[in-house]
Amino acid sequence: MSAFEEVNYYFRRAARVMDLSASVEKMLVTPFREIKVDVSIALDNGQLGTFIGYRIQHDRSRGPMKGGLRFHPSVDLAEAQALASLMTWKTAVVNLPYGGAKGGIAVDPDTLSPRELERLTRQFVQQIHDIIGPQRDIPAPDVNTNAQIMAWIMDEYSKFHGFSPAVVTGKPVELFGSRGREQATGRGVVVALEEYLADAGLGDVRGKRFAIQGFGNVGSWAARFLHERGGIVVAVGDARGGIRNPAGLDIPALVAHAAATRTVTGFPDADAVSNDDVLLADVDVLVPAALGGVITEANAKDVRARIVLEAANAPTTPRADEMLAERGITVLPDIFVNAGGVTVSYFEWVQNIQQFSWDEDRVNAELVRHMREAYATLARIVKSRQVSFRTAAFIVAIGRVGRATVLRGV
Amino acid sequence: MSSSDLIDIIRTVLCRTLTAEQATELSAATVPVPVPTGGVVFREGDPSTGLFILLRGYAEVTKKTPDGKTRGIATITGPTVVGEMGLITSRPRSATVRAVSDCELHQLTRTQFERMIKAERMAAYKLVATIADVLARRVEAMDQQLMGLDEPTRAAAPVADLTALREKLFTEWSF
Repeated sequence: MSAFEEVNYYFRRAARVMDLSASVEKMLVTPFREIKVDVSIALDNGQLGTFIGYRIQHDRSRGPMKGGLRFHPSVDLAEAQALASLMTWKTAVVNLPYGGAKGGIAVDPDTLSPRELERLTRQFVQQIHDIIGPQRDIPAPDVNTNAQIMAWIMDEYSKFHGFSPAVVTGKPVELFGSRGREQATGRGVVVALEEYLADAGLGDVRGKRFAIQGFGNVGSWAARFLHERGGIVVAVGDARGGIRNPAGLDIPALVAHAAATRTVTGFPDADAVSNDDVLLADVDVLVPAALGGVITEANAKDVRARIVLEAANAPTTPRADEMLAERGITVLPDIFVNAGGVTVSYFEWVQNIQQFSWDEDRVNAELVRHMREAYATLARIVKSRQVSFRTAAFIVAIGRVGRATVLRGV
Repeated sequence: MSSSDLIDIIRTVLCRTLTAEQATELSAATVPVPVPTGGVVFREGDPSTGLFILLRGYAEVTKKTPDGKTRGIATITGPTVVGEMGLITSRPRSATVRAVSDCELHQLTRTQFERMIKAERMAAYKLVATIADVLARRVEAMDQQLMGLDEPTRAAAPVADLTALREKLFTEWSF
């Protein structure tokens, strides 16, 4: 299934539980505006480079839109549409006052020099500056875009509209970015788990065994927080392979090793294993924190964890999702679990608008509060309607977006 | 009508992607079927035996309605193709085609066509691709017609939709 089909599959499942009509479903799922722009720049060698840029704006009933910009050859309309609607649902689940959008440029940034990348970014802003903005649509980093690119966007946009740090999030801390952004997603992942464990009468993180696939920003910070709370991380995998130590990995040492060698493999105090071994490890909680589609109908029956904590986007295919449910394994869905990142992006935007910056403790405290409240709402629905957490999340999202839409008037 | 005319017609009306050689091959696989005024090319309900290329003449296409009346679908004239579905399936003909003037037709039978498929002749495969495209477009057009017929009842539904939706979102599904 493509990204588009997967998002809509879960959406439709929830819509059916809520008994929505086909026309209402269609209204909710369809982006209200899709912009395609031509981004032409002079390349360093004097040639003309022409690229296609998109911004798909799905829904703004709950507030200005939020969503990333990716620079990747595979960027296209269908994928951006799916991801834009996903942003609408995600911000609604954690009750951020945002709608959803997504976009990017079809380009391989590795083929561009730094100057060309800057020119491309600035030209893109010139083409879309009238449909983005602090109260309209607030882009953020995504695949192959980063804080530097956000800084250029802010700069170029400000030429047209005056000083506007709130036009994008994910900015460098020195340039109106928020503290606590780096650890935000990882922190949110662990809070999500803690709320579930407490609610389900399963105690807390201390003494529980974890396997984490992916040791990038999300995976490594989740590992650190779990370790701090007495969790035992027994297996970790990345693009090059996996490592395992049944007695528990020394996470601070692993972080240093990964920083130095750029991989977890080769870590001295562990056995080398495959990524499959990591996914099927004998642990309490499995944390997919890297790629999508890693838990499939081929391996879902062999997952030994009792809880799957979706730190990555779409790590579980719909069919595998069903199989895990049949086996009584609780899946805490990506749309809630990894919303820590977008929540702190919201805080960055708020600080920019207030023109007042928060210290890290405040950012973290507000993030924890947000995740806890979101969990409480989901848990109520899971219990009262006997649905999965994922379906409950979509029900929450559809309910909130639907109410905002009818109140504002259709 | 000369054989080169038939080949040209095959290339323009039946399947545009054929090479001259392939069109020649297809034309050689057809048989001439003259039908005088009033004669029946094929009858609704008959088992399909292949497609017909109408080279010259006028014919009317009719269907029987559920209450037994005959309803005119179209009047066709050469050069055109009729009964393409008969090449792919042996299902009964979906309409009657009757000559209203003297007609000159060529028939490509299913037997001949299947022979070409078995022999892996590219001409036959190209022909199938073209027919699939034609059928897909017809289905699309029919769908749109159906939607049009539905319009009056459809218009009433959305109003009820919104009221029910509002109700639902603020009571049953509020949290």
